[in-house]
Amino acid sequence: MRKVLVVEDSSTTRAFVRAILEGDAFMKRLGPCEVSEASSGFEAMRLLPRGPYQLIITDINMGDINGLELIRFVRKSEHHKTTPLLIISTQNTERDVERGLTLGADGYVPKPFSEGELTDACARALGAARES
Amino acid sequence: MAEQGNGGRSEGPADKAREEFFSEAQELVDGLGRDLLTLDSGVKSGRVDPELINDVFRAVHTLKGLSGIFGATMMTGVSHELEDVLDELRLGRMEVSAPVLDVVFRAVELYGRLLSAERGDGPAPEAEVEALLMALGGLTGRGAGAEASPVAQYELDPGLLGVLTEYEEHRLRSSIQSGLNLFKLRVQFPLATIDTALDDLKAKARPLGEIITYLPTGGGSDADAIELEILMASREKVATVKRELESPNLHIEEVARRHVGPGPNTSAPMRPSVSPTPIPSFEAEPGTALAQLHSHTPGTSIAPPPEGAKDVSLRSVSQTVRVDIRKLDHLMNIVGELAIVRTSLGAMAERLRQRPELREVSQELHRVHRAFDRHLQQMQNGILEVRMVPLAQAFDKLARIVRQLSRELDKPVNLVITGAETELDKLLVEELSDPLMHMIRNAIDHGIETRNERAEVGKPSMGTIALNAFQKGNQVVLEVEDDGRGMAQSLLISSAIRKGILTAEEAREMSPREILSLVFRPGFTTREEVNETSGRGVGMDVVKTNIARLGGIVDLSSEEGIGTKVTITLPITLAIISVLFVEVCGRSYAMPLTSVEEAIAFDSSMVRVVDGRDVMTVRGTTLPICSLAKLFGHPPASFPSHGFVAIASVGNRRLGFVVDRLVGQQDIVIKALGRTLRNVRGFAGATELGDQRVTLVLDVSALVDEVLAAPGDSRVRAHGEGRAS
Amino acid sequence: MSTLSRRAHGASRRASTDGPRAEYLAFKLAGDTYAVRIGSVAEILKPPPITDVPRAGRSIVGVVSVRGRLVTVVDLRRRFGLPESAGDARTRILLVAAGGEELVGLLVDEVLQVYRLAESEIEPATVLGGEQPAHIIGIGRPASVAASAGGRRGPETVLVLLDLRPVIEL
Repeated sequence: MRKVLVVEDSSTTRAFVRAILEGDAFMKRLGPCEVSEASSGFEAMRLLPRGPYQLIITDINMGDINGLELIRFVRKSEHHKTTPLLIISTQNTERDVERGLTLGADGYVPKPFSEGELTDACARALGAARES
Repeated sequence: MAEQGNGGRSEGPADKAREEFFSEAQELVDGLGRDLLTLDSGVKSGRVDPELINDVFRAVHTLKGLSGIFGATMMTGVSHELEDVLDELRLGRMEVSAPVLDVVFRAVELYGRLLSAERGDGPAPEAEVEALLMALGGLTGRGAGAEASPVAQYELDPGLLGVLTEYEEHRLRSSIQSGLNLFKLRVQFPLATIDTALDDLKAKARPLGEIITYLPTGGGSDADAIELEILMASREKVATVKRELESPNLHIEEVARRHVGPGPNTSAPMRPSVSPTPIPSFEAEPGTALAQLHSHTPGTSIAPPPEGAKDVSLRSVSQTVRVDIRKLDHLMNIVGELAIVRTSLGAMAERLRQRPELREVSQELHRVHRAFDRHLQQMQNGILEVRMVPLAQAFDKLARIVRQLSRELDKPVNLVITGAETELDKLLVEELSDPLMHMIRNAIDHGIETRNERAEVGKPSMGTIALNAFQKGNQVVLEVEDDGRGMAQSLLISSAIRKGILTAEEAREMSPREILSLVFRPGFTTREEVNETSGRGVGMDVVKTNIARLGGIVDLSSEEGIGTKVTITLPITLAIISVLFVEVCGRSYAMPLTSVEEAIAFDSSMVRVVDGRDVMTVRGTTLPICSLAKLFGHPPASFPSHGFVAIASVGNRRLGFVVDRLVGQQDIVIKALGRTLRNVRGFAGATELGDQRVTLVLDVSALVDEVLAAPGDSRVRAHGEGRAS
Repeated sequence: MSTLSRRAHGASRRASTDGPRAEYLAFKLAGDTYAVRIGSVAEILKPPPITDVPRAGRSIVGVVSVRGRLVTVVDLRRRFGLPESAGDARTRILLVAAGGEELVGLLVDEVLQVYRLAESEIEPATVLGGEQPAHIIGIGRPASVAASAGGRRGPETVLVLLDLRPVIEL
């Protein structure tokens, strides 16, 4: 079962992402998922040791520990150095998205996104991982 | 672009998260309202908190994202424009001023209506959205040019700089330009308690300066701990910061500056909020630099957050859970059911007690029963406490309305609130929203005079509305008081006569208090046209009815020329009980469900007399019965030919009350009968069911006692009681 | 009570100095006119629907709700032992304080007007002779047009002045 960590401070967006990952369309394409939710960078760090996760989806603009700092931390960690990592962000933070990719994220999905768009992005990130 | 809506397909992810969307969106909008009010007073006092602007930005940013997912296009449109404006504000490219805030306030009001429209609760405010979008568009001027980057002058790890978001970078630049000192804090916290530990640290750091970012280093001695590098800006010197914050797991060092040339630094930032001033030399004392900035800045300066732990407590992440009040209602109902279970347990324990061979079991059951009772009581109190929320929830909205109306009607009004922390049952607070809103509207619209009128009578040009809340015994009192023109008796009378509510003769015999009470009569208003601001015909009579339904009381006092005060008194917690409504000889009574075991059909042929008592047989057992009509002396004081029996159970005794009809079950607010009626046995209180009709609530156990305790012929005795005078 | 007013009419007036004026609210009850200190009347209502309270004693009419407050209503006719009546459009309830926060309602036939009586216009109950019930404190005779608030003139007007406390304490 694929473990996915979703890091996002909006509870609605988390619920939305969870619904997509646990939905039929996603399952048919990429198999079943076990979704863990973190509402902040800190919570993500609490959950990481409970992994390892096969996919991490994170927002950038969060208080305290922002998404960039989380990405850097994740890429420096033992277990998640190469875990596929997606950024969900809004158009307003282009420069931040660039930084995220530089720091090691595998892709980004601009908000608002549809079920299809998120699924495609996940497929790409996971596919790339398999190939590497 | 996100896919819109869902058409007629089966539930997709967006539908599943829809309820959550409304809940979170509402919370964000509420928070926005509060933050804006704080910003507003910040603008007035000249010190605006940059973190607050950022919070507002992020809230709108989130709303934009959410509305996009759920296809609320108007909300997305508004959020998009609003976000641009807020971005300019937070990056210091636009000044935070009253006119700008006004537009943002409008947007927040509009959000509320847009959400309602999404829920299907109201029409989409299309025209207002258009107008607002134009207003917002007009605000985004061309931003200032690129800011200089003094960051390079500091010895900051490029790794750290590389993970700053654009906003955090701006805050860093801004802090440097203000001449603040930079500090690097290295701290280790156990992951499990990091939230509270961090809150503590934030609270301590607040008065000293601004925390720019937190970076997990990935280092640290412990797998369960996390090491953070925190970048902080402060006008204090390193010694002070160390003194305030240092602790065994926290290490502080100042970020060194690379050597700079003498004299003022290069480019001054083109910030409209600061009048052109050469950037103070970095060699100078930071404190002086800041002072210089302040003294040269006429408008609003974006300064480090003001001191005071108060701000921290309002905005730090609190240990709260968002609860749907329906879930609490459900829990309360379950508690009610458990109460019936407890009663049955007690009855069982009693019956067992009668059997000597089961003595031990019976005693144990008694103990269990007592423990159950105790815990149930605690649970009930606990749930009631959970339902308690501070009145601030209702007051926040009112502050916005005052601001809005005050501008619309050009009547400057100061809203003074005391006691916002007073707590009340959440349901009451929610129900109070509308009545309070109406009263405030009245106060501003009808009460407070126009500027000219006030000047003429020598009142200060700013009107005052005082909103006070305080606890008095086991009640909460709310007062809405204005220093306006008060209510003129003559005006009230003439209006009432004109509306046909009163005749001139009746008016003559009325006391001043009674005349004031005229405002509570349905259909009463002293304005010929019900204008927009005062609402469409929602009169004080509706306020009164609603408050009465909640178990509260409304009172009014007014003095012409001085002002008006409306007082609402409410019980702190609702004494809500579930009752069964029954009808006897055309009269209604309520029986608390906790005492009622069941209700079955009745036929007068079922009645037998045993030992002088009326009884009937129910599932093989004998049940004493009595006719409520006889008990209360309602003619004809006898058993109906057809009806129902409400079987009451008190302790180990059962009694069937025969009534004509079962009307239904309902939750009601029970109020105590006055002292004057204290000697009347058999009634636990009364309840009001709208339209002023009062229904008495039976004291079932007292009635059971009375009927069963009487030796011999209970019928005659009950009948005789009715005659006493 | 009719006996009483007849006696009051017949009693002679004693002269005394004019003093400060007190305001009395006058109302009709079974043909006679009574009055109470206006300060003790919180409000005058047209009777809302009254809910009967069984076993509460004959003089209790029932309870009503006034802006959310439960108020017990007492029938003054019954309380004073006067003949009963069905009441009509002029029937009113006087809300009076009953100690503490509580209000009690008094059912009367008709509310008349407020009289401002000087001390000289008030005679103590003893003038009626014999033992009078505790609730009667005296007789009021508004002297002239000037003495009555906006109303009727008349040496004919005789008010039986009441103290409500004994009335309410049942």
